[in-house]
Amino acid sequence: MNIIELSGITKTFGSVAAVNDLSLEVPKGSIYGFIGPNGSGKTTTIRMIMKIMYPDRGKLLVDGQENNFERLKNVGYLPEDRGLYKKMKIGELLQFHGELNDGTDLPNRINYWLERLELKSYKDKKVETLSKGMKQKLQFIATILHQPELIILDEPFGGLDPVNADMMKDIILELQQKGATIIFSTHDMAMAERMCDYIFMIYKGKKVLDGTLEHIQDQYGNDTLRIQSELGAEALKDLKGIENVNNFGKLQEIRLEGGVDPQQILADLLKKTRISKFEITKPSLNDIFIRIASPERKEAGNE
Amino acid sequence: MSKIWTLFKREYRAAVRTKSFIISLILVPIMMGGGFAAMIIMENNKDTDDKHFVVIDHSGLMTDPLSKALDIRNKEEIIHSNTGEKTDATYVVEFLEPDFQDPEGQRLGLSQRVENQELHAFIEIGPDILHPAGEEKQAYLKYYSQHSFNDQIRYWFQNVVNNKLREFRAAELNLDEAQAEELLWWINVEGMGLVTVDKKTGEQQEAEKTNELQSFLVPYVLLILMFMLVMMSAIPQLSSVMEEKNEKIAEVLLGTITPFQFMMGKVLGGIGVSLTTAAIYVGAGVFTLKYMGMESLIPVEVLPWFFIFTVLFILMVGSGMAALGATCNDNKDAQSLTFPGILPAIIPMFLIAPVIADPTGPLATTMALIPPFTPTVMVMRMASSVTIPMWQPVVGLLGVILFTIFTVWIGARIFRTAILIQGQKPNLATLYKYAFKG
Repeated sequence: MNIIELSGITKTFGSVAAVNDLSLEVPKGSIYGFIGPNGSGKTTTIRMIMKIMYPDRGKLLVDGQENNFERLKNVGYLPEDRGLYKKMKIGELLQFHGELNDGTDLPNRINYWLERLELKSYKDKKVETLSKGMKQKLQFIATILHQPELIILDEPFGGLDPVNADMMKDIILELQQKGATIIFSTHDMAMAERMCDYIFMIYKGKKVLDGTLEHIQDQYGNDTLRIQSELGAEALKDLKGIENVNNFGKLQEIRLEGGVDPQQILADLLKKTRISKFEITKPSLNDIFIRIASPERKEAGNE
Repeated sequence: MSKIWTLFKREYRAAVRTKSFIISLILVPIMMGGGFAAMIIMENNKDTDDKHFVVIDHSGLMTDPLSKALDIRNKEEIIHSNTGEKTDATYVVEFLEPDFQDPEGQRLGLSQRVENQELHAFIEIGPDILHPAGEEKQAYLKYYSQHSFNDQIRYWFQNVVNNKLREFRAAELNLDEAQAEELLWWINVEGMGLVTVDKKTGEQQEAEKTNELQSFLVPYVLLILMFMLVMMSAIPQLSSVMEEKNEKIAEVLLGTITPFQFMMGKVLGGIGVSLTTAAIYVGAGVFTLKYMGMESLIPVEVLPWFFIFTVLFILMVGSGMAALGATCNDNKDAQSLTFPGILPAIIPMFLIAPVIADPTGPLATTMALIPPFTPTVMVMRMASSVTIPMWQPVVGLLGVILFTIFTVWIGARIFRTAILIQGQKPNLATLYKYAFKG
């Protein structure tokens, strides 16, 4: 069963179509990752789902509700730009957001989440005393405090250190296990690969990818090699049949030209250097993202 | 409704818990009361230093009477009967013969003495003051000082000279003192209220004397209070909404509440703050007037109207300011939009004098029935000592209710469109677009 259904949604600002004829179905209980370059239409899509903006055309159903001006119930929303009342105390701010979202048992829940996200000692302090990362965690608590069934997170990991990002990731997965549906937009492809059941990519307002990671990768085939050798990137110089090299230093990721046999590449490399790793694989999400959104691609697309 | 209530509570608490609110709550009456107190202190602490005058009496009639009057004043009138202390300045007068050769030179010399502060003023009495008919130009009483318009001392000389002239004229007509007094008896008109019937007892109530305080002070204080309440709660909506828009708080809240709920929560929070302030000030005012035995000054019947009109006025102006705030991107935008937003509160301030002078006149009546000005002008008229037709506040209130609904509706439309739009300069064209095209 789908919790969100978008059908032919279009939203324009002046002459620019921020979202163009977009259709999307988000199954209940899934984690759906929204990816796309800056300004591609992710936030506009999320705002339309949240009914903060309304589409010019198309049909949008959230939990079976048609487009209307009523606010969504049981939804938690963490916008891309964090906004908190600086002068409020942390405990009061969470109580305020909890009440706005018709939350129950708020005092206990506030204490639980402050403890869980290591903010308990700040409960009676003002928001303005918190660091950027702490504010982000606080806003995250405000988003999930009322136990929403649908959680929409716009760039939830931006600005968090790895420890806190990991902590938030665990909580998101835990919420999913308890039955929540989670949509999050991110530029962290590795996080999207690891966490999302489905990935949707929007580019220039149009849907360019949608499905499970495997399904997306299958569209590109096994055209990627991951190689570790004594000469490193040097070994790949003047090698025929390579479309692109992504050099990670100790490891190089190669995209093959169409129809090139990986065994031929291996044979050519062995003539130059000793190989410690040679993996034929599908392209990473990061690679797929770059293939779609890189300037070369844009230029090619414009031609 | 519960979401509006939640937002209302936050806005209210955020406002009343600030130090600036508490300080302004205390400071405003202190400053207003301080002005009155300063006037009373100045009144009680008159300058008792000697004041020197020169009198040039062209008539030759006033030297003796003025000398006698000065003697009585300086020895008796300005001495406190119980304490024996001086309560006012002693007037020291030097009588100079007119200089017929060079009158202008004499005036210039005396003017310089006034400038050098040797003299407070000099007075010239014309030659024909006793019989001015046909000789008006020669029947003058001129008081030369640095601030003669504000100098109240000139009236003392005026009274002495005119009273003496009347005596001289009565004597010429062979009237005795009693006849002269009757001849010159002046009857002042007394301003009275209307005779009314007590609704509870059915008894006829005597008409009461009206006074300046009732006619001027009560409407004036109510107008200032309403203006202050609007400035305190409705006007800051503009910068508050702009701040919440720029700090992205608006987007967070709009995920949960509608733009209308957002706007109303904020505006009602402002009304709550104003009503708290009003209740404190009005309560303190009523208590003080009762304590001073001046209950008659409490406009009991006007107060409910005052509160109703104040609430609607703040709702009207506040929702407009919130909508304008939603269109602003920076302080420059906010500055340019604040002035047109506060015009409904400012314009009635210029109408205080004509409205209080003639509360039932065409200007006051017309302005009181134009909705943006109704709250202030109608309350001023109702608080004056004149009875205005009952249909006028009722019609005015209906007009204000309809206009407020319109303002809230249009404000909400502008608000909901503009609150998430960045970088668009607010002007009439964009406001129209937001209001009518979304």
